[in-house]
Amino acid sequence: MNGFFSMVWREIKLLRKEKTIMFAILIQFFIASFSSIILTGIMVYYDPGSMGHNASTRLNVGVVGNDVRQFSICLGERRHHALHYTDMESAESDFKAGRLDAIVSISDIQSDTVNMKLVLPEMDAQATLVLMLLKEPLERYENYLRTRNGVTLRYQDVRSKPFTTYEFLYTIIIPLLIFFPAFIAGSMVIDSISEEIENKTLDTLLSTPVSINWVTGAKIIASVAVGVFQCMLWVILLIFNGFYVQNGFLILMLSAMVTAIIAMIALAISMFFRDRERSQFIYSLVILVLFSLTYLVSPSPFSLVARLASGDPSVGFLHVAVYVVVFAVTAAMTPIVTRKLSRA
Amino acid sequence: MKRVKARFGGRMVAAVAILLTAAAIVSFLVYQKGMVLARDFYIVGATDRAPQIYDQRFQVVTVDNSAGAVALRDGKIDVFITGTTIFTRKDDRSQHAAGALKTYLGKSEFARLAETYPLSQAFPLRVEINYLKGVSTDDAALATIPSAAMVDRVSADTALPAAEPEFIPPVTGSAAVIQPPLVSTANSKSDEAVRQQLIEVQNARFIPEFRAEFAPDMELIVPSLMTPPMPLAQVLLAFAYILPIFFISIFFTSSFIEEKMGRRINVLLSTPVTPLQVICGKMLPYIAYSLLAVTVITLFLRGNVLLALAIFLPVMLFIFSIYLGVALQYRTFKDQTFFSLVAVTLITGYLVFPAMFVGINDLSYISPLTLAVQMYRGVDITPVQYMLSAAPMLLVFVLALTAGSRVFNEEYLMSFRPIQKKIRDAIYFAMDRRHLAASAAIFALLFIPVVFMLEMGIIVFSISLPPALALGVVVFLCVVIEEAAKSIMVCVAAERGLVTRLKDVALLAVISAAFFFLGEKILLFLSLKVISESIFTSAVFASSALWIPLLVHAACTLTVCLLAFRLGEKRYPLALLAGSVIHGLYNISLVGVFS
Repeated sequence: MNGFFSMVWREIKLLRKEKTIMFAILIQFFIASFSSIILTGIMVYYDPGSMGHNASTRLNVGVVGNDVRQFSICLGERRHHALHYTDMESAESDFKAGRLDAIVSISDIQSDTVNMKLVLPEMDAQATLVLMLLKEPLERYENYLRTRNGVTLRYQDVRSKPFTTYEFLYTIIIPLLIFFPAFIAGSMVIDSISEEIENKTLDTLLSTPVSINWVTGAKIIASVAVGVFQCMLWVILLIFNGFYVQNGFLILMLSAMVTAIIAMIALAISMFFRDRERSQFIYSLVILVLFSLTYLVSPSPFSLVARLASGDPSVGFLHVAVYVVVFAVTAAMTPIVTRKLSRA
Repeated sequence: MKRVKARFGGRMVAAVAILLTAAAIVSFLVYQKGMVLARDFYIVGATDRAPQIYDQRFQVVTVDNSAGAVALRDGKIDVFITGTTIFTRKDDRSQHAAGALKTYLGKSEFARLAETYPLSQAFPLRVEINYLKGVSTDDAALATIPSAAMVDRVSADTALPAAEPEFIPPVTGSAAVIQPPLVSTANSKSDEAVRQQLIEVQNARFIPEFRAEFAPDMELIVPSLMTPPMPLAQVLLAFAYILPIFFISIFFTSSFIEEKMGRRINVLLSTPVTPLQVICGKMLPYIAYSLLAVTVITLFLRGNVLLALAIFLPVMLFIFSIYLGVALQYRTFKDQTFFSLVAVTLITGYLVFPAMFVGINDLSYISPLTLAVQMYRGVDITPVQYMLSAAPMLLVFVLALTAGSRVFNEEYLMSFRPIQKKIRDAIYFAMDRRHLAASAAIFALLFIPVVFMLEMGIIVFSISLPPALALGVVVFLCVVIEEAAKSIMVCVAAERGLVTRLKDVALLAVISAAFFFLGEKILLFLSLKVISESIFTSAVFASSALWIPLLVHAACTLTVCLLAFRLGEKRYPLALLAGSVIHGLYNISLVGVFS
């Protein structure tokens, strides 16, 4: 058994020397260290409306019109500055000088419908940010006008918090972070096996007293160890960034099981095709199909991680145990498949 | 093509066919089920009087009033709804769940309002979006928002009303001079816009048409129905177009590396085929795949295929140039993966970051993504704008092919050496050893597009830094790059013993500097037709009387080359630093830092 563990250690040492892996881990570490900032940036793509909730910027809005008092109150409730102008020209002049972020011009508000002209900066990113920051004041003003027209919108007074960042973090970011090392682990196993085959070092190894299953087992354990280590790092860094991840142990257990299953599948693929390029290609397709397939079961691995991390009381150890069973079956089959393929 | 057939023929075809069929079936099943990543994420307790909830994010548990209240208190459900009343706990999970439920029910509320009331009463606010050129980036750092003058002007006239903390009353009180808003759209037209937006809100799960912008000028929006704009379409375009090209070019590099690993490259070298033919022959099929990918993507995004091909062909050739470099330099897949990763990061940065400044800074035209954004916005592209982004990439491609075909020999391809030594080897093999003066001139000219792209990239990256720091960073990095480009060929020639006398080294250094200067000025002349001059471009492409910069170029290159010649190959970085310091001080003096 000592020989087996020394092989595992050899694989881990080889991985440490691997520039690509170290670079990928370094990038992950960097991203995780700033995940709270980066999350806000990525959120903009998932839900551009989140900018309005997350940004603390206070805008200077030039307001033009006779009856702008109510709209100015709506702006004030979101701590934006309303600067009243008597004409559009002077507002535009201050806008061009960079003193205003936007201009709002309001028509006669006596009729049912109020027409408003909103002037935004030409630059894409700036215009989007300003518009998203103004969305809530505009909605408040719209609701005021509705009430004035005798129309009531229900559910507006429910006490709540914006949900998009929360959903994005727990249902996309955390599952991706947890499973990304698993995908990398599979890829690493293929690289490692293909290299041994292409450089003919596998034959040399097999001429010693070690069996093919020791060699492949060591590679799988090394890749799972690196994968789980990365997941641990992710969870710790997320907690440092103020994102609370619940059921940490169950998540790591699930991650280890999924990583091991993927690594074993990758092993079978690389032993079958025996060259890196074709193995990596087929591996990518297999992973794509498998993970799409898991979407059809409930809870899928992605969904299970999301619900465990967010503290959903309806999921727990029993759901993770299903993956332990899948792992056990795959682990039992792998030595047979490997032996057969190594003789082929 | 044969290689791809051989690689992906036989049992691979069967495997790929099975997997693609499986992928198609699974995709269909996933589509049928509805793509919701947060399925059953929230637990909602609902009485039989609660509205129906069909959103897959919610696990709905039917409860009566008392059981619902207890389950909510005990944390077994996240929210409890009865009738139109929603109950929550104070913790985050319950509050976020309430936010999601409120938004979901809010959508059906809009449908109810549209059915129950006239649109003018239900959606009474119509906002017309207008765009106006604001302050430029160069001035942005200087602008204070709001200006001290503005605040003084406001507070001098009237005090803030206590009840409205953020409302600052009119600067001048005359209501008579107020001009009415420019909006005079008839209600029927704006009602039509409301109907359209209602349909968009109801069909929000379908993918909208890609427009590369949020709302065109003068478009009408209704705040409660507004679909948030997708910011920075440039990034999306980068993902849509560039990533497939990266994937394809990785296959190209792999094919090369495989030939090297299997020593089949030696057989190729012994045939009457020229190196250029080998490189082009290997590259062409992958370029054809990339062109096909661009065509398909453009058709999918409903863009102009010919224009897209014109925009992305230089990008393709540029990416293939970089990957050709990786393939020629390295012999193992591990190295290939690592340097491919680095190349993807740098190239994506070069393409995406300048394009972020569309509409605010003309520097954005160095990235073809800017042109792609213009294409999707229906904005015309001028020939000069096109050339500014395409020409450096095409020239880099020419450089890569020229250098690649000259270093295509067994000694270079099969050797394992550190990257800096491989670069020196490449320069040595690429130069015409019998005509060193001509080589110095050609190298100086060929390096210009590379230097230009690097310098533009540095300028764009530095815009977000504090001005003083940005100027320092830009000047330092750019002069180092320029001095390296001018001196490296001369230093390699000296180090390999092709020039042995000091005066010959000096002559080559002056030739290199003179031709670099000439090329740089031509490029500057062309680029300033598009890019407006800023403190950064002045610092990098300083353009005073012609003879002074020529002398500075020559003096700096002489310093680097002569020092490197005297001190030896290992001291080249020190010599480079010395030349760069002189060049940097000169550039900074031009922008008036010392005055």
